Amino acid sequence: MNRKVAIIGVGMQKFEFRKQETVEEMIFDVARNALEDSGLSKDEIEAVVFGSAVDALCGISNNDKVAIEASGGLFKPTMHNRTSGSTAISSPIFAYTHVASGMYDIVMCVNYEKMSEPPSAQGVFSTVYDEIYVRPIGLNVPIQCSLEARDYLAKYGITERQMAKVSVKNRNNALSNPYAQLPMKITVEDVMRSPYVSWPVKLMDTSPVTDGARALIFASEDVARQLTDDPVWVKGVGTGSDSQYFMGRKNNRLARLDYAYYAGNLAYEMAGIRNPAHEIDYAEVYDPFTYKEMQHCEAMQLCPEGGAGRMIDEGISLKDGPLPVNASGGLQGEGNPIGAGMSRLCWCYLQIKGQAGACQVPKEVNHTVANGWGGMYQYNAVMVLGRD
Amino acid sequence: MAKKGKDWLTYKGKIELEYEWSMGKAGHRFFTEIRDNKRIMGTKCRKCGRILVPPRIFCEECFIDDMEWVLLPSTGRLVAFGDCYFSITGEQLKDPWMLGLVKIDEADGGLLHYLDGCRPEDVKIGMPVEIVFKEKREGNIMDISHFKPIMD
Repeated sequence: MNRKVAIIGVGMQKFEFRKQETVEEMIFDVARNALEDSGLSKDEIEAVVFGSAVDALCGISNNDKVAIEASGGLFKPTMHNRTSGSTAISSPIFAYTHVASGMYDIVMCVNYEKMSEPPSAQGVFSTVYDEIYVRPIGLNVPIQCSLEARDYLAKYGITERQMAKVSVKNRNNALSNPYAQLPMKITVEDVMRSPYVSWPVKLMDTSPVTDGARALIFASEDVARQLTDDPVWVKGVGTGSDSQYFMGRKNNRLARLDYAYYAGNLAYEMAGIRNPAHEIDYAEVYDPFTYKEMQHCEAMQLCPEGGAGRMIDEGISLKDGPLPVNASGGLQGEGNPIGAGMSRLCWCYLQIKGQAGACQVPKEVNHTVANGWGGMYQYNAVMVLGRD
Repeated sequence: MAKKGKDWLTYKGKIELEYEWSMGKAGHRFFTEIRDNKRIMGTKCRKCGRILVPPRIFCEECFIDDMEWVLLPSTGRLVAFGDCYFSITGEQLKDPWMLGLVKIDEADGGLLHYLDGCRPEDVKIGMPVEIVFKEKREGNIMDISHFKPIMD
């Protein structure tokens, strides 16, 4: 049986387009912030897990070596994980399993991405695609999203205006987030008037190119109870992976994220959550594009399948709504440094602790869910946090 | 913390790497047929009967490599399509370029390629398309020119 594992510290920093700090300097900043937050010294950290999605973004292969000293990992067990964008949650899952297994009592997870230094992050992403059947055609992220979003809108009757409302919500929420890159007071019309990147995705349905890092410290029950009277537990984890040959999948409708439903179900089952829409108090879902937040709200079962349009129309996911989603601003408002999208999980932790500052939602938060998405419609990773 | 801008020193570098990727056993046969005969082939699992396109030497469900090659038509149905208003190099375009995800008839899978000979407003998910091959073929995915809608 797995041991209980708590999160006992978080390290934040501002997300920006062009950080002049090196990757190492970025990591030192969040690692030290997490240690300060937890009250631990670097020598008390037994092992470190790193997460960054694509080496070529920062142009340093095996860039985890840059993170060794900056995370306090010198002469400690370290490991690097990457599952494209879902690294955001899959790396913290590895930190969790290190502790749950009984191997270590205190493990730090540092996720980071520096995306501003290549001429185009887009060019780097194109190297992720299958080299024989897909890449020569020149697929890029926008048209990848067009293929998926068009099918999503067609299958469930979701509208572009509903997508726009998600953009308005998240960018507006980011106004309360001191770490946010793109806080904006905008209207649905502003989003609708922004140019198409690929139908139905418009410029303001997307998220920016971002540099940034986050750190979280995971600890065993004994350690957590010594440090706090109100531990935040990892209640459930789940991951799901689908075929790289999306052209040949059994379910060839891109609209429905089978792998995300699968990951969510694993996490909820482990957490003992039967009705997420009622039992989850707060969610941070992966929203690199507006429709991705909507798909992920469905796959995380925060609304019925195909019900994400109604969810935003009825204001359910607003900051003061009954089930707030991405009150931090999400990837769209806070910024989207792929692996450091672990920020979704950081904000779940902060909401439960009541430490989310101006982003704090006006309700009691006991159970939260965060997810990450990545690859060529490939991966989802989910973590449920909660109180006793 | 420094603000946006370029106050600090930077070092400009470049990474240029050339690769020659193997097509593998399945890819070799698939693209040889396209190059020499303008034919689409799939691999059929002798256990479950699924016909895989792109072809593979193993069935991931049955987890066996008891597969046979089967000839498939060069037609299919549009499962999804995308239109992009930026070029691959990032310039904004007036007329979009389009990609279609097509399930090949008689197969359980399909291919992704350009969708051409139609406007986005004329395209419907589920519409029949045919594969247009290039005249000069070299044995790779670019031997296919595009998918063309089959008009009634």
